Amino acid sequence: MEKINLGLIGLGFIGKYHIKNCSKLDSVNLVAVADVSKKALNLAKSMGVKQTFTDYNELLKEKNIDAVIISLPTHLHEPCATSAAEAGKHVFLEKPLARNPEEGKKILSAVRKNGVKLMVGYPLRFSSTFLDLKSKIESGVLGEIQTAHAVNIASGPFMHRADSGAPRPVPDWWFNKELTGGGALIDLGSHIINLAHWYFGEVESIKSYLGYRFNFDIEDYAICVAKFKSGTTVMFNVGWFSQKTALGVDLFGTVAHASGHRVSPSRPLTAMQLILGLTPTFFAPFLNEISHFISCISEGSQPSPSGDDGLKDLETIAEAYRNQMRLD
Amino acid sequence: MNIKEKKQKMVKTEMSLVSLVKNETEQEIKKSIQEALELIQYKFPKNIKHVVVKPNMCYYWDYTTGQTTHPKLVTALIELIREQISSDVKISLVEADASAMKCKYAFKFLGFEKIAKDYGVELVNLSEVEAEPVEVQAGTEKFQFMVPKIIKDADLRINLAKSKFMEMSQISVSLKNIFGCNPYPKKFKLHNRLSEAIVGLNKVMPFDLTIFDGLIVPGSPTTKLGLIMASQDSVAMDATVANIMGVNPKSVKHIMLAEKEGIGKTSFIPRGMELKYFKELYPKKSLKNKTIMFGYKLVCRLGLDKRLNV
Repeated sequence: MEKINLGLIGLGFIGKYHIKNCSKLDSVNLVAVADVSKKALNLAKSMGVKQTFTDYNELLKEKNIDAVIISLPTHLHEPCATSAAEAGKHVFLEKPLARNPEEGKKILSAVRKNGVKLMVGYPLRFSSTFLDLKSKIESGVLGEIQTAHAVNIASGPFMHRADSGAPRPVPDWWFNKELTGGGALIDLGSHIINLAHWYFGEVESIKSYLGYRFNFDIEDYAICVAKFKSGTTVMFNVGWFSQKTALGVDLFGTVAHASGHRVSPSRPLTAMQLILGLTPTFFAPFLNEISHFISCISEGSQPSPSGDDGLKDLETIAEAYRNQMRLD
Repeated sequence: MNIKEKKQKMVKTEMSLVSLVKNETEQEIKKSIQEALELIQYKFPKNIKHVVVKPNMCYYWDYTTGQTTHPKLVTALIELIREQISSDVKISLVEADASAMKCKYAFKFLGFEKIAKDYGVELVNLSEVEAEPVEVQAGTEKFQFMVPKIIKDADLRINLAKSKFMEMSQISVSLKNIFGCNPYPKKFKLHNRLSEAIVGLNKVMPFDLTIFDGLIVPGSPTTKLGLIMASQDSVAMDATVANIMGVNPKSVKHIMLAEKEGIGKTSFIPRGMELKYFKELYPKKSLKNKTIMFGYKLVCRLGLDKRLNV
């Protein structure tokens, strides 16, 4: 199988995962990266990437690049993905698709016009925990799912991380609603709303309760209740307020119940796996999703989650923001 | 005066008073601070025009984690200052930008912006105000620090300290809190001579009073300790809190250096509640964390730490 030449745009938190993951895939040639940070580009060079750019438009001009992974701040998704599609590159775009459905539609339009593939990065769709729940729903062993809880609570952008001994600052764009398109609901909620769409189909109605513990104009926690056309009612519980991560889904069916929760990885085990060059459990879904994207390009099939899936998530989130009640 | 009395007097003058008060509810914080001050025989000086208060802000961790100053302790202190000095005394809450924390966000995030609005106090980002260079030596290290004019010119400086176990300095209490007054944001660059830098900064920015916020303390697990302490000697305060944390103050380089440099005394006279009561409740540094840090140091020594940077 011919290798797919990839370009990677954005070397923030998630972008660095992608460099490591690309090096593990035989079918991938990571030929170039782009980022505004020279420090990040130097790190990429040290990891074996030959071409680096400070302007992603220059990377998109490279004829030998077949596809790009875009892991930029949300406000740059639309201009970058649109430019990539217009340059004839297949696009893997980190969630959320964009800040709002209008921007999402522009991306989809450019993708269709230029005949390229678009996949939205939702790693939970490639996690065995949540794949098992999908199988259980489809097999009928749970009966009809009447209600479900989906939770994604963590520290969000306020995760304390260190790079080479120095604490990593939270980028300014995270504090700007214009640039993020919203708070915890669009950031963490998009993951579990995407899962719920995958499990239960279309949303009929959704209402949200938004909280502002940290006094910003973006919500740092939210509880939403959605009625799906399939008859299932789902409660989404998301937040940026906790040092501990809770990420999972509980399904309550007419025959049986099932739960899937991501277990926080053991730090020593993860460190050991990284040192030995293995893929830590936490990173496996990120590797699987890129592998799927590359296979779809090679085989000419449509990747999933698709751009349409990403748009559907944005429309549900936009509806939740419209039907909101403020929790003060 | 007999020899015994003379000896006792001599010992007492070599020791600093540190008070320990058990606070039961958030409504009683002001009363507890007052009690802590009375136990060390402290009264706010008269004719004070400007008070600088340095809370402990650390990243974007709110007070419930035990890492940062409880906002209710700050408001209780503001009320006490206004009642006991003057209703129109100017109060400035100060903090500087750090490697991973920007004051403009942290003030809002941690509730200080609301306090400033509700209580009419000023929020000051020390990284953005007038400062002058001051040279200082601590131990064998020489530094030039920028000293913010607002701290230098204040009539009264109050340090609101928290306690934390730290890998580099063993513990962080009141002396380490003044490290946060350094206007230079990239403070991690001083980590290779941290103890000396802490002491140097305390030498160029001496604070008059330390109030320790042990209402909630971080650790495994985070614990509602309900402790409020006060002292005019930050070295004595650190030595006392080190004891409560189960750490021998003599093993903490910056505490011993601070004493040597004349900032204060490690000998203290505890007043109020028994130290032992809080020591038993204080969450100890977990064996798991110790093992993780040992492993991390080993990985660094073997030059494998870059593989962890993802």
